[in-house]
Amino acid sequence: MQSQAEATPVRAGPVVRAALLQRYAAPAIFLLPATVLIVLFFLVPVFTTLYLSMTDISVLTFRNPQWAGLENYRTLLQDPFLGKIMLNTARYVGFTLLFNVGMGLVLALLSTSVPERYGNQMRAVWLLPRILPPVVYVLIWQGLSRDAPFGLISSLTGSERSFISGHPWAAIVLANGMVGASFGLLIFTSAIRSISQDLFYAAAVDGATTLQTIRRIVLPMLKWPILFVTAYQTLSLLTSFEYILLLTQGGPGFFTTTVWSLHAYNLALSNYFGNVQFGLGAAMAAVLVVIGIIVSVLYLRIFNFRALVAEPKIEVN
Amino acid sequence: MRHKWLVAVMVLAVLALVLPQASAQRVVVMKVWAIGPDNPSVNRFNNVVTAADRLNAELRREGAGVQIKVEGSFDTTGWDSYLRRALLAFQSGDAPDIIQAAHPQTATWAAAGFIIALDEMIPKYRQFNDVVPSLWDAVKFKGKIWGIPQDTEARPIYFNKALLRRLGWTDQQIAELPGRITRGDFTWDDVMVTARDAVQKNVVERGKGYYHRPTPGPDFLQWYRSHGGRDFEAASGKLVFTKEAALRYFRWLRTAVDQGVLERDRLNNEWPRFFQPVSDGKVLFFSGGTWNWAELEREWLNAKGGDEWLFANIGFAPHPTWRKGGRAITMSQPQAYMIPVASKNKDLAIRLIAYTTVPDLDAKHAVGSAHLPVLSSTARLVKDRFLKEVSYLLNFTTFQPPHANLAEWHGALFRGVSAVESGQATPEQAVDLVAAEMQRTIRDQVIIE
Repeated sequence: MQSQAEATPVRAGPVVRAALLQRYAAPAIFLLPATVLIVLFFLVPVFTTLYLSMTDISVLTFRNPQWAGLENYRTLLQDPFLGKIMLNTARYVGFTLLFNVGMGLVLALLSTSVPERYGNQMRAVWLLPRILPPVVYVLIWQGLSRDAPFGLISSLTGSERSFISGHPWAAIVLANGMVGASFGLLIFTSAIRSISQDLFYAAAVDGATTLQTIRRIVLPMLKWPILFVTAYQTLSLLTSFEYILLLTQGGPGFFTTTVWSLHAYNLALSNYFGNVQFGLGAAMAAVLVVIGIIVSVLYLRIFNFRALVAEPKIEVN
Repeated sequence: MRHKWLVAVMVLAVLALVLPQASAQRVVVMKVWAIGPDNPSVNRFNNVVTAADRLNAELRREGAGVQIKVEGSFDTTGWDSYLRRALLAFQSGDAPDIIQAAHPQTATWAAAGFIIALDEMIPKYRQFNDVVPSLWDAVKFKGKIWGIPQDTEARPIYFNKALLRRLGWTDQQIAELPGRITRGDFTWDDVMVTARDAVQKNVVERGKGYYHRPTPGPDFLQWYRSHGGRDFEAASGKLVFTKEAALRYFRWLRTAVDQGVLERDRLNNEWPRFFQPVSDGKVLFFSGGTWNWAELEREWLNAKGGDEWLFANIGFAPHPTWRKGGRAITMSQPQAYMIPVASKNKDLAIRLIAYTTVPDLDAKHAVGSAHLPVLSSTARLVKDRFLKEVSYLLNFTTFQPPHANLAEWHGALFRGVSAVESGQATPEQAVDLVAAEMQRTIRDQVIIE
């Protein structure tokens, strides 16, 4: 009996392995291209950044960078402006997110409550900021914001100053928001459209006002799209800085509108005077990666991601 | 065989192809990178091409069996992207054979080991003996020479003569102004008073009393110097920051903004917002460079008569100082040709540069772009009125210090100027912030006094 028990695992080993191989070979091969891409473009840069952040590589030491351990991180901690930059990042992400999701929701609700062809046109117009190259889009904003008497905004509000220099945060949030709102707009629109018409008829029969319909029927059905848009845009806003770079260059003055990723870019790549520190910039970027991971995990927990992707409890045949 | 003749023809064809190669010239491709970024400076590249033609003729005469073909580019985008490209080129080993950049780059790139020292090569070519001696200081770092001066310039303060006349100045007063600035009789305070007067009397609009560059650059160093600031200590080789001088400079800026002489957003603009009001004749004083004269003439004042309008309406002088009797100041940032370590044709490269450093090409570039020549004998060839009139500024000129961390110094000072002008910090706060930033980024290589 003992020999039988011993014999079974020995004989089952290779058989089980062969069976596993046969079962997962095809899926593994299908997943291979995507896996390679993810490893090349997502994992390798993360590890390279972490490695670079531990060296003292800069223009001066480009030929033979030395291992610096956590020296770059210590330098970062001693930066008197780090708190300000973190605050700026939180402000940027928070306000722009509010605008993006809120405006996207409002626009989606508006554009689905009018006949479809008008709704389509309205959505197409709102997509234009996203389609334009960022530099062109910012040029338009700069033209609008010029100081009196050249700018449209200064003529309308009666202020003398350039809108961008006078209210840099407002300019940044609005410029980014108009681009970001279209993302939420599209996703929420398709989600609203997929709500069965029966629910709306039932609500109408029950005497619900528009606001009540929105609150009780539409918004609960949009829970997952809102989660997705919020999570996606938080992460994308944490790392995006091109509109800030183009609009205010992080100024005016000492880091008024500099966010974390912009500061990392300036340290690592902005070369006007010819001497940049890649190691220090990489350290900032590495911190951003960690923050991004934490934020993603938080979001998935708060909105109960497991429930979203769980098997449905009702089988429809 | 029937095909014997065919075979013979083929053999002859192959021989015809092969044999001439044996006696053909070897073509060496020289990669040359040059940058303006202002358009009129295109001769920084074209002069090398012309020099290559001359060198090729000389090589043919010598029977050296080598011919040079110049390839490369003239960059008009900006320093940022150009320097980044250069860095990647150096590291990848695919570097150009000759690269032109501003003289402070010699310090940074020499410290990084990207370019070669030229001390041994220079005596071989007599063309280099003609270079104005003081210019060699600009390309020296740690006792060695790292580049060949390509051009120089000066950075004057320009003033609008028509506006001064409207303010009530006589022609004689206007003609005397450069002399008064040079003697230290007309200081920054006088500039402030004059500009404030002009704003109050509506001769100029608010904010157009004084203009300076809208982007980071080395000019802020000269304005800080003109307020008495030190930036380099030769004995120790360290950078210096004089808080008192910076405070004077920042206070001047703050007062200028408060009194409507200087725009609060002067730094948050692009170059067109500098050139357009200037060429409309709306700005009383503006700081710039000699090459701006050529830019204005060619690109902004075509309709108004170019050069003629400029001479009639704009005057220039070195920058004033902060106290009576002090010495006027200007700054030159010579451009230099350098040879990267990774170049495979260093000897040919230095020879090509020698052929480029000749009076007629020097004059062509100087006149074409309103930069100043580097060779003493070019003055005979230059008949350009502006260059003749502006060359006295070179007597007051200064260079940026040769230090590998100069970039951090510039960056911190620029942030201070930006903070003060935009009202984000008071002058006192800004000075402390700048000093702290320099201390943090340059550490022991800077002396804060």
